[in-house]
Amino acid sequence: MLPRGFLCRGEGVSLGSGRGSVGIWFERRIHLWLLLPAALLFLVLTVFPLIYNGYISLHHFAFIRRVFRFAGVQNYVRLSQDGLFLAAIANTLRFVGLATAAEVALGTGLALLFNARLRGQRVMLPMVVLPMMLPTMVVCAVWVILYDFEFGLFNNILRSLGLAPVQWLSDPRIAMASIVLVDIWQWTPFVLLLILAGLQSIPDFLYEAAQIDGATTFQRFRYITLPLLSFQIKLAILLRLIDTFRIFDKVYAMTGGGPGYSTETISLYIFREGFRYFNLGYAAAASVVMVLLVLAISILYARRMWKEMRT
Amino acid sequence: MPKRRIAVSRIVLYLSALGTVLVALFPIWWLVNTSLKTPLEFLSGRTTLFPHEPTLAHYHEVLVDRGFLRFFGNSALIAIAATALSVLVGSLAAYSLTRFRFPWQLDKVFLLWAIAIRTIPPIVLVVPLFIMFRELRITNVRAILILAYQVYTLPLAVWMLLGFFREIPRELEEAALTDGASRVQALVRIVYPLVTPGLAAAAIFCIITVWNEFTYALIFARVPSDFTVPIAIATFITEYRTLWGPLAAGGLISSLPLLVFTVFVQRYLLRGFALRGVF
Repeated sequence: MLPRGFLCRGEGVSLGSGRGSVGIWFERRIHLWLLLPAALLFLVLTVFPLIYNGYISLHHFAFIRRVFRFAGVQNYVRLSQDGLFLAAIANTLRFVGLATAAEVALGTGLALLFNARLRGQRVMLPMVVLPMMLPTMVVCAVWVILYDFEFGLFNNILRSLGLAPVQWLSDPRIAMASIVLVDIWQWTPFVLLLILAGLQSIPDFLYEAAQIDGATTFQRFRYITLPLLSFQIKLAILLRLIDTFRIFDKVYAMTGGGPGYSTETISLYIFREGFRYFNLGYAAAASVVMVLLVLAISILYARRMWKEMRT
Repeated sequence: MPKRRIAVSRIVLYLSALGTVLVALFPIWWLVNTSLKTPLEFLSGRTTLFPHEPTLAHYHEVLVDRGFLRFFGNSALIAIAATALSVLVGSLAAYSLTRFRFPWQLDKVFLLWAIAIRTIPPIVLVVPLFIMFRELRITNVRAILILAYQVYTLPLAVWMLLGFFREIPRELEEAALTDGASRVQALVRIVYPLVTPGLAAAAIFCIITVWNEFTYALIFARVPSDFTVPIAIATFITEYRTLWGPLAAGGLISSLPLLVFTVFVQRYLLRGFALRGVF
């Protein structure tokens, strides 16, 4: 799966030139010694927790009451009947779909715009990219201030136009859209940069040749730009899918999952079960479901990407 | 195409570009604006595009009265330590992976796992990590976070450094080895000085990631004295809804390090951010 020649090329460096028997023993295996600390950290912090999660999820584990007993698949059965968890999955998928689609579409459009050799581009591009450089909590702070019902800018504008103010974050029909908008504002610049890099690697002579053949602007876009850009676009979709699926910080800070459960997401659900109620077994079961979901989505998608790249 | 139509379409392009700049910058200006306004002004119900009586009182309040200096200290300490650990361990791994052949394709397994980690939502590791740190009797929140953040920073460091190590010609070390230097000496004296720019770039991306991190900090830092900056800001948002001045001031100050660092790594921006996503 890795590009050829990506790692060590050819024979590799010869091992062992140290003096003394201990030195030789050490230097013979130096490549393993050098990799060991990183591999150990990965094992302890990621591989083991993922397996351990599966084990905990088969137990009733109420941390505060110090209960730990085998429960079989009861946690999973309970999850499948828990309306809030199912709503969290539905909300998460809705957030993923809306945010990813909007960010990739907008980002691609903006990349085309900023590829049009406008004057002042070198000044404008860093400004446009600024939102993605801010810490996410600062982004939340900005938008909470803008969205505020009584004193926020948006409602001030609506009122001065004689319109009814909107409950941006406390109307169950609007709250999720408001959070999606924040994500779009923050991460569209990322898609823009990614696609722009792809655009700038398309050689000019292709367009010149097409122009000589009498292709229209639209045809040049449809038959040159789009096919050559498809990998970047798919990569952008994959990266945004993975990133939006874990949505937690924005929801935690801006709505706390409410009003009702209109912005409840899977991450938030796991957080609350695990670290407000300390039902660790149940939270672990929800975590396992979440891992399976994200793996299913990303593996299916990545496999299609690889396949298309080969053909 | 007739000239007039070209001119008109150029104007449309410029207007949309300017519009985009405005949409990107305006909310940030609004934060600056709010941080400098007196509470009286932003609660007056009038929309003012700039502060009429600019004041720095909120900056003083947030840093001194609300303890942000301490949160900055926590965040900085954790970011620096986690980054140092990742860059050190990650650079050893990257060196090894670009120089040697491994049995059973260990190298590929390692790297693909490093990518796979980035697809896993951080929240799902939190229950087992929480229990693990309890069982190991590790109670120092800073130590816990420095370790836990390796989940984010180590794959990032390894993947970024791989490219830099690959570009260093192997002949340089081999010359040193034939001169009688040991492998470790060659690594320290010849290779590391040459990859310094790479180490710096990887370090900056690690710092940005950690400075931003929210999930683990929220779960492990349970008392205010352990809070990192993002947790402090979240507390501000959720608990004191209209203390906007200090909130805006704190947010701006906490963004500054990131903005400064970003300027340094502009060249690697895409590489780093794509890695943060997954690659």
